[in-house]
Amino acid sequence: MIERLVVLAEARYTRLILVGLLFLSLQTTIFNEMRPFGVSLQVMLLLAGSCGLAKGSQTGAVAGFIVGLLYDMVLTTPMGLCAAVFAVVGYLAGFVHTFVHESTWWSRMLASLGVSVIGMFMLPIAFTITGAEGVLTTEVFLVASVVAVFNAALSLPAEWLCNWAIRDEALVR
Amino acid sequence: MAGYSFTRRRAIILLSLTSVLLITLDLRGSSAVNFTRSAFGSIFRPIESATRVVTRPIQNTWNGITNYNDVLAENRRLRDLVAYDEGATVAAIASVREAQELLALNGLPTLAGISSCTAQVVGQSPSNFTQTVELNRGSECGIKVGMPVLNAAGMIGKVTDVYSKRSVVMLITDPGYSLSVKVVNTPPTTTTTTVPGQVAPSTTSTTTTTTTTTIPRTTTSTIKGFTPGGTAAPTTTQPLLPGETTPTGTVGPNQPGKNTSSPITVPAGADLPLRETGALEGRGLTKNPVIRFIENQPRFGSVAVGSPVISSGGATSLAPPDIVIGTVSRVVKRSGTLGPLLEVKLSANFDNLNFVRVLLYQPITERPAAP
Repeated sequence: MIERLVVLAEARYTRLILVGLLFLSLQTTIFNEMRPFGVSLQVMLLLAGSCGLAKGSQTGAVAGFIVGLLYDMVLTTPMGLCAAVFAVVGYLAGFVHTFVHESTWWSRMLASLGVSVIGMFMLPIAFTITGAEGVLTTEVFLVASVVAVFNAALSLPAEWLCNWAIRDEALVR
Repeated sequence: MAGYSFTRRRAIILLSLTSVLLITLDLRGSSAVNFTRSAFGSIFRPIESATRVVTRPIQNTWNGITNYNDVLAENRRLRDLVAYDEGATVAAIASVREAQELLALNGLPTLAGISSCTAQVVGQSPSNFTQTVELNRGSECGIKVGMPVLNAAGMIGKVTDVYSKRSVVMLITDPGYSLSVKVVNTPPTTTTTTVPGQVAPSTTSTTTTTTTTTIPRTTTSTIKGFTPGGTAAPTTTQPLLPGETTPTGTVGPNQPGKNTSSPITVPAGADLPLRETGALEGRGLTKNPVIRFIENQPRFGSVAVGSPVISSGGATSLAPPDIVIGTVSRVVKRSGTLGPLLEVKLSANFDNLNFVRVLLYQPITERPAAP
């Protein structure tokens, strides 16, 4: 029984959920209060994108889905909406980076910036598709810009954290 | 990636289908989704509280850097405001009580008859696209979906999700919010100017006595024309016919066949504030809500900026009547039969929501349908 629990705890997606909970608590507390230019910074989006950068498109999509689902739990928007968007963001982050021949720190930051912009445009579009009104405004440009710059600045430590969280089980043991 | 049991394409299809399934379940109001959210809230709450304690110094530092000057200025302004309001509060309470008694005597609904639950705002939506706040009271206090929420200044929104010890409130600024409201417009005043040396235009021999009761006006808010109990409608008393006297003793003034001469007091309706209903719609935190469907009635006249906006009530309304919402801040005139579009400056300050009151009044439209 205990061995099973240990195996479960060592599973990479369990670690990702724990890291996701930590990021979610930061999202709902400190980043909810600190709003530069009136914009709530999106660390959950940062986590989803960083997972894709760290582990490629397939793992990025699954990790993004899990992170988005955690975010959906505290939002009033339809469950699964952020999960779908963040899965796309995680996938794109990994996919875009496969085109880079020799990745550098700035190419990773650039990729994080790009996928964050895409994510912040996809969110209001998805909200609109599911029936929300008045979210697709010109303000999205400001929100996307601020969130993207912030996510790019923090993409390297976030990627390092994701590398640790979703490393293969064989390496853990 | 080695050892991964399914291919990339299968993973993507599976994720897409799961998302669609979850969205469909949630939009159809599945109880399983609500239960999952509620259970997750119970698990997540301690983690969030611990993080809040740990990150508080960082938040305070941030607020100190960004808001210090604003806080100082606001503190000064609030001191002035408190001094100004203290004197008016006592008179206002008396006026409101009088108004409530009057409404109760006439069998009209009042806010005093509705129970409420006081709650504290413990968080707001971390999203940039929804305007919601979270309260620390839930179904244990009697809160149900659809109940109106207000603070000391006025209406702030309605309850959209209820859990055992917390609830989520959609703010009045949310684009998904709509409420029927009344705009209280002050009628235009007519002024008669008499040029010296000319005969006055009024040459009729009928004598009309106009009695105006003036109660010392107590301003309880900055809303123009909204001073509950502060004014009384002017009344017109009809004159007695020659040779008649006012009945004395136990004989009432309204005797058969003498109704034309009895001193009946009638309110001068033309001088009363006029009301018109419309639908208030939120437009996000950065834009003021607007009122649509105001009719172009000649008697109502043009809406004055500063006219108070209050909830209209009614069988299908989301809130009981006479809850203060704000004042008209801008009037956008539209052509044809379209009425004007009114922008509303809300009374409540949505940047600093703390203690709020949930009226335990569930509108008919929000009640779950009987199985």
